[in-house]
Formats: sequence, structure tokens, C-alpha cells
Amino acid sequence: GVLACLEMLESRAHREAVEQEEKEKREEKSAFLKTKIRELRLQRDQLRKKLEQLEKEQLGKEGIPLDPPLPSPREVLEWKIGNLRDLLQVFQLTGISGKLSKHGVCFSLHTAFEGSFLDSFHLELLLRPEFQEFRIQRHSIPPFIPLEQLSRKFLPSDLRGFLDSLFQHLNAFVGRRHQLEQFQEQFSEYIQGNPQRNSLCNLLSFRYQIPGKSGNSVFRAQLLYEDPCRSLPTEVSISCS
Amino acid sequence: MDESVCQAYEDEIQALEEEIRILTEKYEDIRRETTFFSDEEILKSIKLFQRETRGGTKGHESPSDLKAQLESLGTDLSFFMTFTGFQFTSHSKKIVEKTRNKTVQKHRLSGKCHSLSFQLEFQLLEMQNNEKVSAVVSDLSIIMESGEDSGVSKFVSSTEERGNLLTFFRSLSTYAEWYEHRKHTFLHFKVLYQAFI
Repeated sequence: GVLACLEMLESRAHREAVEQEEKEKREEKSAFLKTKIRELRLQRDQLRKKLEQLEKEQLGKEGIPLDPPLPSPREVLEWKIGNLRDLLQVFQLTGISGKLSKHGVCFSLHTAFEGSFLDSFHLELLLRPEFQEFRIQRHSIPPFIPLEQLSRKFLPSDLRGFLDSLFQHLNAFVGRRHQLEQFQEQFSEYIQGNPQRNSLCNLLSFRYQIPGKSGNSVFRAQLLYEDPCRSLPTEVSISCS
Repeated sequence: MDESVCQAYEDEIQALEEEIRILTEKYEDIRRETTFFSDEEILKSIKLFQRETRGGTKGHESPSDLKAQLESLGTDLSFFMTFTGFQFTSHSKKIVEKTRNKTVQKHRLSGKCHSLSFQLEFQLLEMQNNEKVSAVVSDLSIIMESGEDSGVSKFVSSTEERGNLLTFFRSLSTYAEWYEHRKHTFLHFKVLYQAFI
């Protein structure tokens, strides 16, 4: 009867109110998003113009820039700091870099094989003028590198000689290890089992066969690198099992 | 429906924000590459900066902090230049390619090792893999003043072929020291000889 009708009208009104609310919310959201898109597009277009202008300047020095932003003194100083940091980073490419510390120097040795820069090692030396010596405070040199021997041989009088020699040992070691890794990667089909090496990577042995050519024969190769400062072997022996 | 329209809007917003980020980065990269301030301008800026921020620096680094950083970097650089013998007279780098994990830059570097001058150009590819940063050199081109020496030119071309930048620097360092030593020895004997005439 009437009550049922009223209930129906009420629920319809309620539904319509909810729908209306949702519609308004959607329209609000849509308007908000559209405004945001407009703002972002404006920002993007301004940046594009700025970038175009900058690129034009770079290419041909086309007149005076429209809006030369005057750098603040802070910006100038921050630029110089970045510039000096860059230059110190270039030393990394030469193999020996580092920085001065309160009581000495921290050296970083950067190894490479052909074009690839590999591991870096660090060494902190304390300057003790009273004893006229350099003391190795902290280092990340692996134990199979003769650090003690080298420091006894060269320090304190020949710091350059010490670092050059240490560098040669490290660089050759990393070069040998890298070559072995590359070998395992590139010739995985030829190699049987796991190549064996010592920690200094100057004694290698592995078994291999040549797919399609050696039939069932397996060869055993042994490489000896007698000079720890070189990354090429001095003796190679191959046997057939 | 309305839903998909909103989604399209949100997608566009994301794309725009990404584009803005890339443009801003590119702009700052180019600005950095083409900016240069002389030492005079640096000194002037130090003075100006100290005067400006007398009232406080609002959480940024103070002028004495920046000045201290400058001095410490300058001392480090000067030590390494004297110690290794490498003096870099100019260095510029330009970004050739940049993605999230990978940056390729073209470097131009000139300088000398003791008295031997060199000019280099190379590309450096730097990749970030988790914590490790790897660097690979390619397109290495070397010009050396003492190119008349056939030994030197052979060395230079084999180094260029393999992108062996590190070997170049290390060998140059050894050669330059020996060269200096030889010069001094020669001069020493020259003086001695002249004393006997």
C-alpha cells in the first residue's frame, strides 16, 4: 500500500542522492586531473623551450641568452667543489688516487684489464715523523699479496716505489683472475668440470675438449705464471688423458 | 566509462611527470658541462658568500664549511699532482647516453706527466649493478708530444686498440720518471764535462 510506496520513493531518492554525490565526486576529480595536466603541460613546454635555448647557445653561441640565470655565490662555489671532485676522480683512471687524512694519506689503487676497470684496493698510511716511518694503518689488500715484504723493501724512503710495486702485484692478480672468469664464460662448452686455481691465481689447471674435433679425448692444461707482476703465463703444459 | 577516462588522465600525468624529470636532468647536465668560473670569480664568490650569510644559512652549509671543503679538495689535488707527476691542464666531459643504471660519457683530458704532454679522448661507460659500479673505456684516442719516438708511437697505438687507458697512464708514469732521470743524469754529466774542459 502507501507505506510500500513511500519506502520505494525513499529508497529511490536515497539512491539518486548517492548517485548524484558520486557523479559530483567524479566530476570534481576529473576537473582536478584536467587542471593538473594543464599545469604539467605548461611546465613541460617551458622546460622544452629552456632546453632548446640552451642547446642553441651550446651549438653556435646564438646571441645573448634570453634569461641568463645569474649564479649565486653559493652556486659558484658548489660548482668549483664539483669541478675539483671531478679532477680527483680522474686520478682514479690513472690507477693511484686517494685523499689526505689527518695524520697521513689514504691511497686507493684501481686495477684494470684492457678497457675494463676492475677491483679497487685501499691503504691508509700513517705518517710518523718522529720515527721517520710510514705505518700501514688499515688496508684491504688480500693476504696472498706480499704487502709486508714490499713495505720492508721500499718504505720509508721510497713511497712511490712501494705503491708502484704493490700496484703491479694487485693489477696482475686481478688481470689473471679476470681472464679466468672470461675464459670460463666464453668457453664453457669446451671446459670440463671446474678449473682449479690457487688464491694468487698464478697456478691454473683445467680439463677441456674441443667439441667436434677431439672426439672423446680430454686434455689437461696447466698454466704457471711465475712472475706475480705479470698477467701472462710463463709455462704451459698440456697432457692428454 | 568515467573510470577509464580518469585512468587515461592519470596515465598522462605520469608520462608528463617523467618527461619533466628527464628534461630537468638534461638541462642541469648541459648547464654543468658548459659552466666555467675562473679562479678570480671563485675568490669573489667566497667573499660575497661570507658577507651574504652573516645572518645565518638556514640549514644549508655555511660559507666556512664550503670554504673548508674547497681547501681540502685543493690540498688533496695538489698533493696527488706532485706525488704522481700527473698534472691535468684541462678536462671536459659530455653525457652521450644516460639511463637509470647506465651512463656513457665522452671525456677530453689533457695534461702532462712530468714534462711529457698528452691529450686524450675516450668514452667511459659506467654501469650500476646493485652496489657495484663498473667502468669500461672505449674509443680511446691518444696524442703524445714525443710522437717522433717510434717506440712511443707503437705503444700508443697498441694501447688505443685495446682501450688500455690504465696501462697508458702507468707506463707513461714510469717512462716520464725515467725520462726525467735521464735528463738529469745527462745534465749532470754535461756540467761535469764542461768543468773539465
